[in-house]
Amino acid sequence: MEASNTADDFIPAGLAAYGIEADEIELAVIRAAHQTFWPPILELLALDTSGVPAERNPDLSRPPRR
Amino acid sequence: MSEALNLSLQGQAAAIAGGDVDPAELLEAALERIAARNPALNAVVATFPERSREMLAAAPPGPLHGVPIVIKDEWPLPWRAQRFGAAEMLAPTAPGESGPYRALRDAGAVIVGVGNMHELGASSTGSISVYGPARNPWDPERCPGGSSSGPAAAVAARLVAGAVGADGIGSIRYPAAYCGLTGLKPTFGRAAMAGHHMADVSSTIVSGPLCTDAADCRLLGSVLYGEELRKGEPGPVRIGIIRGDVSEDVAPEVRAACEAAIEDLGRETGGEVREIELPELPAATLATVLIANSESLGDITPERLNHLDPELSPIGRGLLKYRVLLPAIATIKAQQVRTLARHTLARLFEDVDLIAWPTVPAVAPPLEAPLVELPSGTLTADEANVRGGALANLTGIPAISVPVGSSQGLPVALQLQAAWGRDELLLDAAEAIERANGRSWVDAVPPVRAETLEA
Repeated sequence: MEASNTADDFIPAGLAAYGIEADEIELAVIRAAHQTFWPPILELLALDTSGVPAERNPDLSRPPRR
Repeated sequence: MSEALNLSLQGQAAAIAGGDVDPAELLEAALERIAARNPALNAVVATFPERSREMLAAAPPGPLHGVPIVIKDEWPLPWRAQRFGAAEMLAPTAPGESGPYRALRDAGAVIVGVGNMHELGASSTGSISVYGPARNPWDPERCPGGSSSGPAAAVAARLVAGAVGADGIGSIRYPAAYCGLTGLKPTFGRAAMAGHHMADVSSTIVSGPLCTDAADCRLLGSVLYGEELRKGEPGPVRIGIIRGDVSEDVAPEVRAACEAAIEDLGRETGGEVREIELPELPAATLATVLIANSESLGDITPERLNHLDPELSPIGRGLLKYRVLLPAIATIKAQQVRTLARHTLARLFEDVDLIAWPTVPAVAPPLEAPLVELPSGTLTADEANVRGGALANLTGIPAISVPVGSSQGLPVALQLQAAWGRDELLLDAAEAIERANGRSWVDAVPPVRAETLEA
């Protein structure tokens, strides 16, 4: 199945799953945010990062340990 | 006394220390100027003259003795909880001694007002706030930048000579760029952070100075860091530039000014410009947004989201609710991108001293419609700005925004980024750019000051 950025199902279903209510204006904002964020999120998920262990508690004041 | 307000931060401190300026008179002059100029700008959302006078009366000798400062509505004060530019915050807040407050107090500074900010710190524009938006002194119909909108507008209009902001995703550098100031985002963890409502959970937010030039940022920054940011000669600086959206999908006049400034910096220091590659940059932008958003989720419950203060903007309400729909797997991937970007940067900083690109790709957009026209088309200012602002927050490196030109009568700015802990190099390099262009842009005066310079 191909990924989709269609918000029609995802947004109402997602909000309903949490029991979160949203009025029409809020839904319009959420749809706009979803249109902006979802395509790059799908690209991010497609990245092969299997060999990249995330730094555990990285010290962001310093370069990473080698 | 009002002319003393036009001095630099260093100048005010020196004039007070030398007995040429009475700090009590300077404080009253600052309050009068805020009363006169602020209604058109909405930069300062709270003053507390008695508290300020008490602070001055108790001020110890120090590098900022008697100097008025504005602090962003993101930091609690002993007499006032921060509101974060919003009708409602999800995190608990209370009055208290934040790290920046303590640093300022111990340096002898006088907090004269609280600076406006974008609601919940959620935009690079400053166009939404529970107080109404702050306005850009270069054009009050334009965005001042965000989220540290009020601190930037206050300094640009010279209500004060220095202000303290906070930078979670570019929030000091964007308003510095839009308002023609110098704004320093410290290395993560180097500047005072205690008392921030996200101090224990955020991996991106830092406090930092907004001033007219690098020397003033060095002075106020040293106070916030709790250590002297020593001035040095940058020597031959190796400047890395990156091809791609961050430097090329940029308004032509902004691109030209920034390229010229990069050449100036290379020439001034006897350095050189090199092309470098940072393949993680596009993913790093999204990764920063995902991480920053996930770090505030701990304060969210569905119940609270169903009872948000109706005074919170519809955009604020909608974005808070959208955060819960962001998938956890994306945040895990974002952490991996952070690791990759940090390793790549560590390698790059063996070959270059600085990485340079425009702070923002276009000048301040209208408050009514914060959109920018770029070669690729029309984008929201936030979409466009985050491309250049996020990397430093994701990876922890320091960055500075330096005014380097003008387009449509509005400031243009270059961002410099350096390796972890090399904050002083950024200030040295910013000063080299100022020397190279004869301080043309740090000394430029916005119309709101020119019209009322004698006020």
